[in-house]
Amino acid sequence: MLNYEKLGFKCGIEAHQQIEGLKLFCSCPTINSTKEPDIKIERRLRAVAGETGEIDIAARHEMAKGKYFIYEGNSEDVCNVEYDSEPPHSINQNALDVALEVALLLKAKIVDVIQVMRKTVIDGSNTGGFQRTALVAMDGYIETSKGKVSIPTICLEEEAAQKIEETKEYTKFRLDRLGIPLIEIGTGTEIKNPEHAKEVASILGMMLRSTGKVKRGLGTIRQDVNISIAKGARTEIKGFQELKSIPKVIEYEVERQLNETKQNKKIEQTVRKAEPNLTTSFLRPMPGAARMYPETDIPVIKITKERIEEIRKKLPKLLTEKEKDFEKKYKINNELAKELISHEKFEDYIGKFKNIEPQQIANILINIPKEIKTRFDVNTASLTDENFEEVLRYLNEGKIAKEAVIELLTEAAKGKKVDISKFKTISLGNLEEEIKEIISQKPGLTIGAYMGLAMAKYRGKVDGKKVMEILKKFVK
Amino acid sequence: MILHKPGDKVKVVTKEGEKEGIFISEENNSVFIKLDNGYNIGIGKKEIKKIEKTGEGKKLEIKHSIKLTKKKGLPNITILHTGGTIASKVDYRTGAVFASFKPEDLIGMFPELSEIANFDSELVASMFSEDMRFKLYSLMAKDIEKEVKKGVDGIILTHGTDTMGYSAAALAFMLEDLPIPVIIVGSQRSSDRGSSDAGINLVCAAEFIAKTDFVGVAICMHESMEDKTCAIMPPCKTRKLHSSRRDAFKVVNDIIIARINFENKKIEFIKKDYIRKDKNRKLKVKEGIEEKVALLKIHPNMHPDQFKALKGYKGIVLEGTGLGHAPVGVPNEYCKINKENFNAIEELAKNSVVVMASQTLFGRVNMNVYSTGRDLLKAGVIPGEDMLPETAFVKLAWLLGNYKKDEVKMLIGKNLRGEINERIEPNTSEIKDF
Repeated sequence: MLNYEKLGFKCGIEAHQQIEGLKLFCSCPTINSTKEPDIKIERRLRAVAGETGEIDIAARHEMAKGKYFIYEGNSEDVCNVEYDSEPPHSINQNALDVALEVALLLKAKIVDVIQVMRKTVIDGSNTGGFQRTALVAMDGYIETSKGKVSIPTICLEEEAAQKIEETKEYTKFRLDRLGIPLIEIGTGTEIKNPEHAKEVASILGMMLRSTGKVKRGLGTIRQDVNISIAKGARTEIKGFQELKSIPKVIEYEVERQLNETKQNKKIEQTVRKAEPNLTTSFLRPMPGAARMYPETDIPVIKITKERIEEIRKKLPKLLTEKEKDFEKKYKINNELAKELISHEKFEDYIGKFKNIEPQQIANILINIPKEIKTRFDVNTASLTDENFEEVLRYLNEGKIAKEAVIELLTEAAKGKKVDISKFKTISLGNLEEEIKEIISQKPGLTIGAYMGLAMAKYRGKVDGKKVMEILKKFVK
Repeated sequence: MILHKPGDKVKVVTKEGEKEGIFISEENNSVFIKLDNGYNIGIGKKEIKKIEKTGEGKKLEIKHSIKLTKKKGLPNITILHTGGTIASKVDYRTGAVFASFKPEDLIGMFPELSEIANFDSELVASMFSEDMRFKLYSLMAKDIEKEVKKGVDGIILTHGTDTMGYSAAALAFMLEDLPIPVIIVGSQRSSDRGSSDAGINLVCAAEFIAKTDFVGVAICMHESMEDKTCAIMPPCKTRKLHSSRRDAFKVVNDIIIARINFENKKIEFIKKDYIRKDKNRKLKVKEGIEEKVALLKIHPNMHPDQFKALKGYKGIVLEGTGLGHAPVGVPNEYCKINKENFNAIEELAKNSVVVMASQTLFGRVNMNVYSTGRDLLKAGVIPGEDMLPETAFVKLAWLLGNYKKDEVKMLIGKNLRGEINERIEPNTSEIKDF
């Protein structure tokens, strides 16, 4: 393994997380639209001077391509704001609150007055030629297995449009993603090695999810990794498909830079893309600092102390803390706890179905669907909260035994109506009689054999434990 | 407390620590600095213990001004600059978009212009067009006359879009027998941003001047939401019909003059009977314009004092409802006051020229269809045909500034500069785009 310390390895992460709700500067929904586009327009962008009078080199690079852009969208998902046909509306205060909440979770200092900036981006991914972004907080940190990692900046910004086609003449984008509020968390360069980078990314992801206000699913969180080694140059790598690919991509990039330095090649500062085979490819030159200037269409936003305190009072527990709480409180293992902390109804059910042990509820919600999938090859994604609730209610009322749960849920997953008639429990007295009957019909068998016979007959109607207790009374 | 210049490098010390950056401004009890990462942040003054200057920074200036050199064989175009979004930059003191470019800056920003023509530029004014006054119309007309005398082949007049339509009409009236094209250009997205429509509008205007035999005043703006074509539009029939879209300008009761394809620079004339270059055309500038003219929007529940307030105005355009109506009838007891409205309008019409236009914009005023219209005609109100209310307003002011009252009453309903169309074809409207 490479000695990263010796190499002068420096690494920082930028995590980008989409926020639930409406868009940052208009009232459009934040959905990944599947609707057919009904508007398609052609636009061009021109590199312009920033406030220091310099045209950014990344911007020049894009202009040199001389491309035009096609933007398409469905009118139900995008409005004039995304088309850069209307100025931005006031900032989405809910999204800003989420960013402030994350800033507090990261123990950062919130800036007194937020100024939305225009970050020049002329690759077409922003119809205006810039991305709106605001620095919300500074100087936070997280604790990791290898010590503190600083969080110098936390920003709230607009998501870019999604590129769907690129040719020599034009690039085509879909606009439903443009303008979704995005929290950008930038770490310091205390990251020690590729594995540590993954850990940091995973902690950031966990903290963001702890708010319960961020989007989930593919593409809703993205990490960019900035790395350099003493003899190389700073490289920004974008487009990680998943967290677990981070260490390998970093390793390969460090190796690439080492190889190039061995061949005495000068390494340029570049933005590179993580490829599916975990190597990286050139994307564009590293943008300079001239790319930002104030967004004059949006007044500055003063963040009052009262607002910060309101949010601080309601800060959510981190998912990792919640996990520990669950393990202790409900006596479940960490694996189950991890899955249950994001289950919206789990604690509701515990309160509602008092006759069922929490572990059993946990088991029904998490393990049983998995078992149905592996044992019966039935897709359980279709199971609704109502399905679970119905089954839990029967179990709670003693109308079914816990053995019936898996079959009832399997039926429900297949889309059938839950029918408990064949699973009606029988009373203990009757059960004793019936078990006696089984033994008398086939005398001389082992207790295990009787158990098998009894369960074949009463699966789902009786509790196996009780059958065993009864059998123990009669079989010597 | 703070004596720093924008651009100074500073260190701001607060209870929570220090922040270094470039001093941007001080306002609303906060100090704004630009951090090394490019972000601006505000720091509450109350939190600040001290601010130290740590160095001189780069000046916050756009260094665009270039020397213009003439190329042989290219037409000469003068850019007359009046301000607006097309020539805007950011004012880092207030954070507002501010019209303050030197005219040369436009060419510095849009270098392809120099391949189309040789450019000169003159500053007429630097203002938002909503601040416009009649005196400036006269000033513009005189400046255009100067350029015509110099022998330029065409003029591009940059203008804010808010009142561009008014200015276009005013110049069309003032510049009689204009022998060169004067193309008014604006932008709906400020030129500090990559997506600005300024460059395309300017390039298309320059192409149109350089490559066609059109003369007269016209507006050149985006034809659609896209960056594909620009429309050359008649000065008296064009109105801003959208607050923010690039194609906010639409021709009303008329058709566009020409269309310019930005990509291949092809020019297509839609209006075949446009006025062509002709050596015999000699410019007569009639820059007179009456100050006391008003445009009043008619609406339900009007009170007589709204009309009476216009006493002393030499000309009044009523932007009536429908075919050219106002609340002057008394159909029931609730409407008794309307009789006083009628009296007030009648009184106004005795002493000044009162013209009726329609707030429907599209279509023609016809005051013979309903009794309200007939009553207003009797009161002395003159129908404004299919003129845009704004055009009627500008025309009335211009007529009053150059002609006798009787002539004004006669000329207001006559077509002088394409402001009135005798025929409106059913498929004229292009408003379906919105």
